[in-house]
Amino acid sequence: MTASLPLLMILPSLLLTAVIIGFPIVVLGWTSFHRVSKFGQLLSFNGLANYLEVLADPVFLSSLERTLVWTIGVTVPTIVCSLPLALMLNDNFVGRGLARAIVLLPWSVSLTMTAVAWRWALNGRAGLFNATLMELGLMHEPIEWLGTATMAFPIEILIGILVSIPFTTTMLLGGLASIPRSLHEAGRMDGGSAWQLFRHITLPLLRPFVNIAVVLNVIYVFNSFPIIWVMTEGGPANGTDILVTYLYKLAFRFGQLGKASVISLLMFVALLGFTALYVSLQNRNTQDAAGGIA
Amino acid sequence: MTRRMRAYYRRSLLYWIALLPLIVITLFPFAVMLSTALKPRDEIFAFPPRWLPSHLAWQNFSEMWTQSDFGTALANTVYVSVLSVLLTLLIGTPAAYALFRFQFRGRGAFRIYLLITQMVSPIVLVLGLFRVFVQLGWIDTESPLIITYAAFNAAFTVVMLQSYFSTIPLELEEAAWIDGASRLRTIFSIFLPLARPAVAVTAIVILVNVWNEFVIALTLLRSSANYTLQLKVFTLASSLYEVEWHHTMAAVLVATVPIAIVFVWLQRYLISGMGAGALK
Repeated sequence: MTASLPLLMILPSLLLTAVIIGFPIVVLGWTSFHRVSKFGQLLSFNGLANYLEVLADPVFLSSLERTLVWTIGVTVPTIVCSLPLALMLNDNFVGRGLARAIVLLPWSVSLTMTAVAWRWALNGRAGLFNATLMELGLMHEPIEWLGTATMAFPIEILIGILVSIPFTTTMLLGGLASIPRSLHEAGRMDGGSAWQLFRHITLPLLRPFVNIAVVLNVIYVFNSFPIIWVMTEGGPANGTDILVTYLYKLAFRFGQLGKASVISLLMFVALLGFTALYVSLQNRNTQDAAGGIA
Repeated sequence: MTRRMRAYYRRSLLYWIALLPLIVITLFPFAVMLSTALKPRDEIFAFPPRWLPSHLAWQNFSEMWTQSDFGTALANTVYVSVLSVLLTLLIGTPAAYALFRFQFRGRGAFRIYLLITQMVSPIVLVLGLFRVFVQLGWIDTESPLIITYAAFNAAFTVVMLQSYFSTIPLELEEAAWIDGASRLRTIFSIFLPLARPAVAVTAIVILVNVWNEFVIALTLLRSSANYTLQLKVFTLASSLYEVEWHHTMAAVLVATVPIAIVFVWLQRYLISGMGAGALK
């Protein structure tokens, strides 16, 4: 009884995730080797034809490139902004509770809702973004922010940064809270300046949290669908498409299920790679922590 | 005033100045929602647009509610969210307990497996899921949403619960075993009551995740009577005719405010939970 109890306890979660997450991967794999009708019927086995077609598709290649820009363009500034933010919010000051609440607020609003609000705010004629900039005298003519891809994509990246900051800051705050106060006190006793304390105590102890925040952000941003879908649907003319939006259009607009399966699988493999990176970082952290105590 | 106090106030001022740009841009969309939701219809497309409405058009909310069948979407979202949370906890809590109290064969493999399921996002699988549910004839109902959400939140739930469970001492359970209580009995009468706060916090995080989910709902739901809030707002904003932005923003506010309040209350638990969860 006791030997099988833990297995019985993990069984429900194992089964459900296997059916809902594991099985669709098999289905995608199977579909990717077939010619598929617009309505989803598998017509004939066609080997790697879908794969070759995807790799030769210029829209796929430009979406892939844009996905890299999107992922790095959101993740790097997010970390750069969140680090000083977490340091401030971890320190004591008047109204810290309020500041924390405001900074974390966007996390509670869904990406869909945020994107809908921004799309309206950025409306060329009636949007309050233009109105505010014009009232402040920062510009004279309204700009159609989402009208061209060269303008819309950087804006989508900026909004991506805004919505990633709360989660990242929270992770780093958790990390800062785990640093024992006594270390800083000891450092101060030894005459360390604020910068030295940061450089030699805070930063090294925070580094594992920063690493993990980077990997998790890369994963989330790489997969992020709602911002671009709601604001521009990857357009105009595929100019803001990243892999997820292009994949969604292939699957549910253009009925190119074979190609969509291939892109899904390629993304799955990339995610496995990120996960491996995450595991190796975590293992290193545990070793560091053990070494720190010894 | 002591030197220490002066330094404290000076630091506060500096911090608020440094935070100001981020706070302005964070609150900006909320201000846009409020301003638009309270404007009379004919002022929405006025040029140049103004922040303040000539009078507060509260009727936007009631019009939006009836015209867009908002109540149904709200009921659907509550139904899906509550059942998803219950199902996730039902499968996640025993798994978290097993991982945390038992050493068993395959424990490490199960953790890696969970981690992979956590890292895969719904968008990558959505086509495969769609094909599976089409085969089962299970499109355009809430049930596939519920089990899909439970599956995608399972791993996170196990990790989060486990990190909270580690603060519950084993001694109490051991005492009960010595008194002759069975393992299962101990779990129900000793362990679960102690774990209640951890389960509650985890439940709220799942609730926020499910409440805000978009792509699975977008793909699996067809008829507007089954729409969740996210889908309802998305359709309002992507209408083929002129978008009724005053209604859309009213809908965004009503759909968001309850969850935002819950979230702000939750944040202090999140900070300690994620600090622990990330490194375990």
